[in-house]
Amino acid sequence: MAASVRYLLKPWTPSLYLVRWSRYNPYYLDPDPSKDARVLESELSPEQKELQELKTVRPIKAALSSDTSSSFNDPLISKFINMMMQDGNKILARGIMTQTLESIKRKQVEKYHKSPAAKKEEIECNPYTIFHQGLENCKPIIGLASVQKGGKSYQVPVPLTDNRRRFLAMKWMITECRDNKHRRTHMYEKLSQELLAAFANEGNVVKRKHDLHKMAEANRAYAHYRWW
Amino acid sequence: MNLHKLSSRLCPTVTQKFRHLHIQSSGQQLESVAVETASAEPNPLSVFRTSEQDPAYHSERQSGQYYTFPPAHIQKLFPHGLPPRFQLQIKTFNEGCVMVRPPALELISYLKRADYSKPPLRYVLYGDTGTGKTLSLCHALHYCYTQGWLIVHIPDAHLWVKNCKELLPSSSRPSRFDQPIQASHWLKNFKITNEHFLSKIKTTQRYVWTKRESTEMGQPLGELVDQGVNRMKSSSDVVGAVLRELRLQAGGITEGEGAFKLAVAVDGVNALWGKTSLKKEDRTLCEPEELTLIHNLRKMMKNNWSGGAILTALSQTGSLFTPRSAYLPNELLGEEGFDHMEPFVPVSVSNYDEKEFESCYLYYLDRNWLQHPHSRSEEGKKELIFLSNKNPSILERLCAFL
Repeated sequence: MAASVRYLLKPWTPSLYLVRWSRYNPYYLDPDPSKDARVLESELSPEQKELQELKTVRPIKAALSSDTSSSFNDPLISKFINMMMQDGNKILARGIMTQTLESIKRKQVEKYHKSPAAKKEEIECNPYTIFHQGLENCKPIIGLASVQKGGKSYQVPVPLTDNRRRFLAMKWMITECRDNKHRRTHMYEKLSQELLAAFANEGNVVKRKHDLHKMAEANRAYAHYRWW
Repeated sequence: MNLHKLSSRLCPTVTQKFRHLHIQSSGQQLESVAVETASAEPNPLSVFRTSEQDPAYHSERQSGQYYTFPPAHIQKLFPHGLPPRFQLQIKTFNEGCVMVRPPALELISYLKRADYSKPPLRYVLYGDTGTGKTLSLCHALHYCYTQGWLIVHIPDAHLWVKNCKELLPSSSRPSRFDQPIQASHWLKNFKITNEHFLSKIKTTQRYVWTKRESTEMGQPLGELVDQGVNRMKSSSDVVGAVLRELRLQAGGITEGEGAFKLAVAVDGVNALWGKTSLKKEDRTLCEPEELTLIHNLRKMMKNNWSGGAILTALSQTGSLFTPRSAYLPNELLGEEGFDHMEPFVPVSVSNYDEKEFESCYLYYLDRNWLQHPHSRSEEGKKELIFLSNKNPSILERLCAFL
């Protein structure tokens, strides 16, 4: 019994070598740094109670240095910062993110204070909701995969996992801001403009999502080439 | 009979309210009582805002509360005077609100009680980075403006000793250097602030700029300023001439039409005695003494004139070759600067205390600036206190993205 647990705690290599894999044995659980992790026992459902017990027994992976226990910590924003980061310069990426949130909030609060009282409730001032909603509006529902059949490769419409959709939305947002904007504008300006446009379902990123949907719709005929 | 009893019961409460009005006669209490007649809740506006918009009447009662700059005053008095982040805040919130704090109140009380027939007193605002020296200076300057003084405001002396694209050898003196862009920019803003004084003050000496251009004696100061704005080459010398004229005439006429008091406000005064990052043509470093603008400003800082006050603030943020932890006058001014400025009245500016932090937090909530739901809770507030250490500028930068 002790020998089998020791075997599970050793450094682990997968049987099939992947491009990106973690050295942690899958026996280890993910850390949950938020303060709300401690909830009263009576409020938990049986599955959640099982999970809690598992956490007391099983080993847990080390937390990342970018995770905080404060409620200001947002996993989606952390993921976006990591995607924007170049050459490991997290400080610069985080600075750009905070400047983006600030500039979104400034534009919205300015509009709020200048508009008449009737229209004030319609204006969304929270940069976090604008970011989340904007990214949600950029996520594609269906994607295309290249399938080879009879010597020719076809673009086949295929469902996407949640992670893949989130990744595509963020990737499109960042590449759009890096490539297709005027050279002399700052990244935070470009991002804030694109995010506000995505929040209103306009702009180039949402257009790219619609183009992908149209392509998938056009290639409906090849849908049964998919075997998974 | 019932009606009579009702009225007799109502009367005492009404007389009580009148007594209440009589005892507490300060502005914001009156306002709150006027609204209070219907409901017993205190008016939340009176906690962090004050209705007293005139800085002359500010006292400890308004300490920690916000008062608004009138928009007309902002345009005239501070065309270049406010810090850039504060200008952004004015643009976003659609109003310019400043907190009334003890250092500014101290400065204004000194200004009220000083004797203006004697040489001017030099006030130096000092403190750690981001504690509010520049805005306290602007508050005091607003007081001077509402009292009708002539304002000479250099928003940041560090801008005159670094990043200068054009450094011309001076036209009048061989060993000096001119900065035409900075000088003409400053003269334009000086003109906006003091328009109504420019026609009243006359020059006392004939100034010759080139072979064909000169300003005669007895011309209004406006012409001198226009000369500097239009002809960039001699603008630094014009600045020197303007400062000299103001120095001579400030204490001259005490009563009557031509009388005026002079307020010289310099932010980042340690730049005048520090090092520059400008290089001469032979690639040696320029001394601040060799720049015309700095030389004339140093003459202004001496107290050999009368009829005004010199308000200054130190600044480490823009300074060159000074360590980040230095904030005391001794460290930032250096030996030369300290000897030149001595004797001066030091005014210390520190971080917010509990009441001021509370006031700032409520102001941001009122202006819809704190959007993150956690920042509006008690725990979020404690986190903000911990992260910013109640430093005004760090708190502002934190709340910007929350």
